[in-house]
Amino acid sequence: MAALASTESLQLMLQVTGLSMHFPVYKGLMRRQIGEIKAVDDISFHIMRGETLGLVGESGCGKSTAGRALLKLYQPTSGRVELDGTDVTALEGEDLRRIRTDMQMIFQDPQACLNPRMTVGSIIAEPLDEHTRLSRRQKRQKARELLDAVGMNPDYENRYPHEFSGGQRQRIGIARALALEPKFIVCDEPIAALDVSIQAQVVNLLEDLQQQHQLTYLFISHDLSMVRHIADRIAVMYLGKLVELASREQLYQSPQHPYTKALLSAVPEPDPEKEAIRERIILQGDVPSPANPPSGCNFSTRCPIAQEQCMRETPAWRELEGGRYIACHMVQ
Amino acid sequence: MKKALLCTAVAAGLFAGPAMAERGTDGQLKILYWQAVSILNPFLSSGTKDIEAASAVIEPLAKYNEKGNMVAILVDEIPTVENGGVSEDLKSITWKLSDGLVWSDGTKVTSADVAFTAAYCMHPEGGCAQVSNFTDVESVEEIDESTVKVNFSVAKPFPYGPFVGTQSPILNKAQFADCMGAKAPECTDANFGPIGTGPFMVSEFKANDVVSYVANPNYRDPAKPAFASVILKGGGDAASAARSVLETGEFDYAWNLQVEPEILNQMASAGKGKVVSSYGTSVERLMVNLSNPDPALGDKRSTLEGGPHPFLSDIAVRKALSLAIDRQTLVDVGYGSAGQVTCNVLPAPEIYASTANDACKTQDMDAAKKLLDDAGWVPGGDGIRAKDGVRLSILYQTSTNSVRQATQAIIKQWWSELGIETELRNIDGGVFFGGDQSSPDTFQKFFADIEMYTNNFDGTDPEKYMANWLCSDIPSPADQWLGSNMPRYCNPEYDALVAKMGSTAKLEDRAALAKQMNDMLMQDVAIIPLIHRGGVSAHANSLEGVKMTDWDSELWNIADWKRAK
Amino acid sequence: MFNYTIRRLLFAIPTLFVISFLIFAILDLAPNDPTGNLPLTIPPEVRENIRISLGLGEPFPIRYLKWCQQFFINEPLNLIEQWFDISIGDSENRLRVQSWATRSPVVDLIVERLPQTLWVLGLSYVIGILIAIPIGVISAYKQYSIFDQIGTFISMVGFSVPTFFTGLVCIVFFSSTLGWFPSIYDTTHEVTDLASFWFQVKQMIMPVMVLALFNASQLSRFMRASMLDNLSQDYVRTARAKGLKERSVLLIHVLRNSLIPVVTVIALGLPQIFAGAIITEQIFRVNGLGQLLIIGIQGADIPLVQTLTFIFAVLIVLFNLIADILYGMLDPRIRYE
Repeated sequence: MAALASTESLQLMLQVTGLSMHFPVYKGLMRRQIGEIKAVDDISFHIMRGETLGLVGESGCGKSTAGRALLKLYQPTSGRVELDGTDVTALEGEDLRRIRTDMQMIFQDPQACLNPRMTVGSIIAEPLDEHTRLSRRQKRQKARELLDAVGMNPDYENRYPHEFSGGQRQRIGIARALALEPKFIVCDEPIAALDVSIQAQVVNLLEDLQQQHQLTYLFISHDLSMVRHIADRIAVMYLGKLVELASREQLYQSPQHPYTKALLSAVPEPDPEKEAIRERIILQGDVPSPANPPSGCNFSTRCPIAQEQCMRETPAWRELEGGRYIACHMVQ
Repeated sequence: MKKALLCTAVAAGLFAGPAMAERGTDGQLKILYWQAVSILNPFLSSGTKDIEAASAVIEPLAKYNEKGNMVAILVDEIPTVENGGVSEDLKSITWKLSDGLVWSDGTKVTSADVAFTAAYCMHPEGGCAQVSNFTDVESVEEIDESTVKVNFSVAKPFPYGPFVGTQSPILNKAQFADCMGAKAPECTDANFGPIGTGPFMVSEFKANDVVSYVANPNYRDPAKPAFASVILKGGGDAASAARSVLETGEFDYAWNLQVEPEILNQMASAGKGKVVSSYGTSVERLMVNLSNPDPALGDKRSTLEGGPHPFLSDIAVRKALSLAIDRQTLVDVGYGSAGQVTCNVLPAPEIYASTANDACKTQDMDAAKKLLDDAGWVPGGDGIRAKDGVRLSILYQTSTNSVRQATQAIIKQWWSELGIETELRNIDGGVFFGGDQSSPDTFQKFFADIEMYTNNFDGTDPEKYMANWLCSDIPSPADQWLGSNMPRYCNPEYDALVAKMGSTAKLEDRAALAKQMNDMLMQDVAIIPLIHRGGVSAHANSLEGVKMTDWDSELWNIADWKRAK
Repeated sequence: MFNYTIRRLLFAIPTLFVISFLIFAILDLAPNDPTGNLPLTIPPEVRENIRISLGLGEPFPIRYLKWCQQFFINEPLNLIEQWFDISIGDSENRLRVQSWATRSPVVDLIVERLPQTLWVLGLSYVIGILIAIPIGVISAYKQYSIFDQIGTFISMVGFSVPTFFTGLVCIVFFSSTLGWFPSIYDTTHEVTDLASFWFQVKQMIMPVMVLALFNASQLSRFMRASMLDNLSQDYVRTARAKGLKERSVLLIHVLRNSLIPVVTVIALGLPQIFAGAIITEQIFRVNGLGQLLIIGIQGADIPLVQTLTFIFAVLIVLFNLIADILYGMLDPRIRYE
């Protein structure tokens, strides 16, 4: 269980305000812009130091895009991202490069995200070339330490990524992300591509590392039970927008947003008695295209309790009591 | 007084001569042959490019000048019956080498070299390409060091086959002694750099690319050649060869410019060089198949046994075909300065050229139609003339070549105006002229009604050429289709004339016989001559002394070439 | 890897024998007569004698075996003798593959021409690569930019317009009109000082550039496609997330990985240096192997054509192997056993 208790960690680590990421759509002979995909549309939240924020939602809802935009792997269309008080979105070039030592990412596909032509050792040590003035030996030493830290044999440093299994590759990806001793890590579905048996190992590793290195995580996943296990607070995303954000206990015990309710109803209960009476909420229809979202509330087309207002007005992102947030007209 | 003046003039000339033209003062001469030279031994190659490239180095006893007359080269005078050089029975000829002749390596030229050359080419295993020059040679005797006598097995009214003309130069015995017969191809060094008596000697030879020559220090005329060195580059195509002389001026001389007349004229307008042409004996002609090429005849197809041609055996049809052709148009379209209209299959030299057939020079479509009408060939429903169920439908074949295909198309149009249907066919030259027994498409097999190609004869004597159309020379399976009488023309009167020429020595009489034979072929329309083809070359304005000839190598007088001052 | 190479080489031997037989058979079946291009004045008996003196009198299998003996045994022995200046056995009477047109050993002709081919065509290949790689990289990196559009257009033109046309245009423009460069390659030229070096450069510029542009347009497309492929890979994003300089991302991660397929394409294309530039050599009269082949074909010089074609076949087989081995060396995911 992640630690949220100590008072010093109750400082703000990341403050996101009105972040949007729109991709233009081109078409035709002259490649004119005919519209845009609102992958991430005006989202705001914060993460405290040492905390793990889970970001959940269906595939294609924009969670990964949000994670990448946070790290400025994309240039966001608008909004602010403050990491430890520095506005990341405003940074360019050398300044941006320097701040990358503070924020790292662990990717979903551990196979594709490792350069197939580099040895594990050089993949891990490469950021050290760019950002530190360590000697060759020191860098090598550091790479071996990191391998050791993620539970791998340091002698593997001269091997190539394709020689490892998926779980091992993900460990390499984690070691690589840790190399620069970042404060904040975006974990973009780090376990989605792994076998279930390996998933728990990797999540436990992430938790251990969080303790050791005082890390702050944004944990992106579509697996609600895994998020429940690791996250302190959870944000739910639908079609580019946040719909609900609450602490883990609040969210799982009393979900407010109809979409959250539907999502949670799909999670099987470990207790067979509860499972027997679990009531599944089946959503009607398909997720609308982000290129052409519905007017009003994005969820209005599938919402079981939608009213006429929902079709017209976009619900505001507002704070409820107890530090929880929601975007729904129907919830008071 | 007068005599004294003359003496002074001669003296002045003598002194001025060497002062003006001294050996090797004009630098480098650059010649371009778009067919690259492969070998410098003309006995092992009959490619014109190879023979001509060798002609700057090795020389025959006598050459032909630009008018087709013989000029003495390594001898002081041409042997004739009159001067006693040719025996009365016409069975031997005695050549006497000039005094003091030396090879480029300084050794003496002797009659042994001449006799060796004959032995070299006549060796049965040597595959000598020029062996036809030695036809009927029985022996070559060395009378003394500088006198050589050629004995023939039969009376030779024209005994100038061996050792005359570029195809029959004299080799250095010392150099080629070990290269007889089957060994001939293995003597690469000798074949690539023969020692000669000519104005130049080979300094470097890159096969299929370039020959470099330098002036021969032992050349018999101390004032020549004017050029110190020659580069003879090969390869590419005719159009770009013309461009390099006429437009860019990179080269001094370009050979055999088979380029469309329009393009050549346009290039010449750049003003850097001149286009020159010369006419030899080449005639582009239509051969009329007098035998029946019907495939139904099987083995007898296109042979005498197969019977006469269903309609070309009618002389009226053959005459009409010839009359319908406007030869001048063909010249303008395809040949330009490389062709002129001719009505003879033997167009040159001048003494042999008949004027009896000149009527063909003008097209007369009405006369042609009338001929056919009178002979009973009348247009059928489809516009094609026919008689007794035989339609005038011609298969007309030739080798693949853009000019030939243009000519075919034009002629087809004229013939269709006449009411004759023509199907055109072209065959790759390597197949058409290659004597492959198994191919049905050779010009000898002639499985068509009309075929078109060019033929000529070497040197100036037409005796052998006119003997092409003997009855006994008709191609057939019996002689592996090797005969030369493509029209399958068989006329005992003609055969008699050929025999008579073989025993006539006097030039005027020979000329009269040749004309008579030519006229016989023309009036029987066994052959329809179209164009007297010439060679076209180009030389830079700064190059003087070029006397282009079709009777010999274009480089025959390269010793006299010099830079314009 | 070593075992793999050896095994591939051993497999290549029967393949090459089959190829040599096929070439020989095809050339023999082709209706081509070495005396076909001779003047018609040469009588048929003389033609027949010439054919026999060229060895055409013997039946096909004998001729093939003779060629094999000459090419696979006599010629290598001769080469060894020349290199080490020794004599093995009866070297005087050992028959070499003889060209019909020049009556000289074919291998000597090839050796004489090899340097020109390597210089002119090798240089054009190197220049082509040097042009193609930056263009491909920039085109892909700035996809759909003006640079990319122009690059695409030029490479399409360069690729689709044949070299004999560009060569001719160059000659007409630079030689005839401007008079800057010679239109005919002087193969007897020797570089001795700065001036003659400059002349050598001038006469090489046109053939080299015409071919280089052709090669470059082809390769730059490959390079661009390969770069685009890799640019969208996750590891590139990883590299960016690591905070690497954009240069390092592009050159170390993307370019290196994109070069793997391009390097193999380059290796596979190398035999073209010897064979593919036939027309360019002919136009500029560079005395390379391609021109030799053309002259051989025109003159029905079967031994020359046979030997050259076979050497090209050997090169193609060899460079295929080299490409495979290079791939294995460059890409750690591939291991040959």
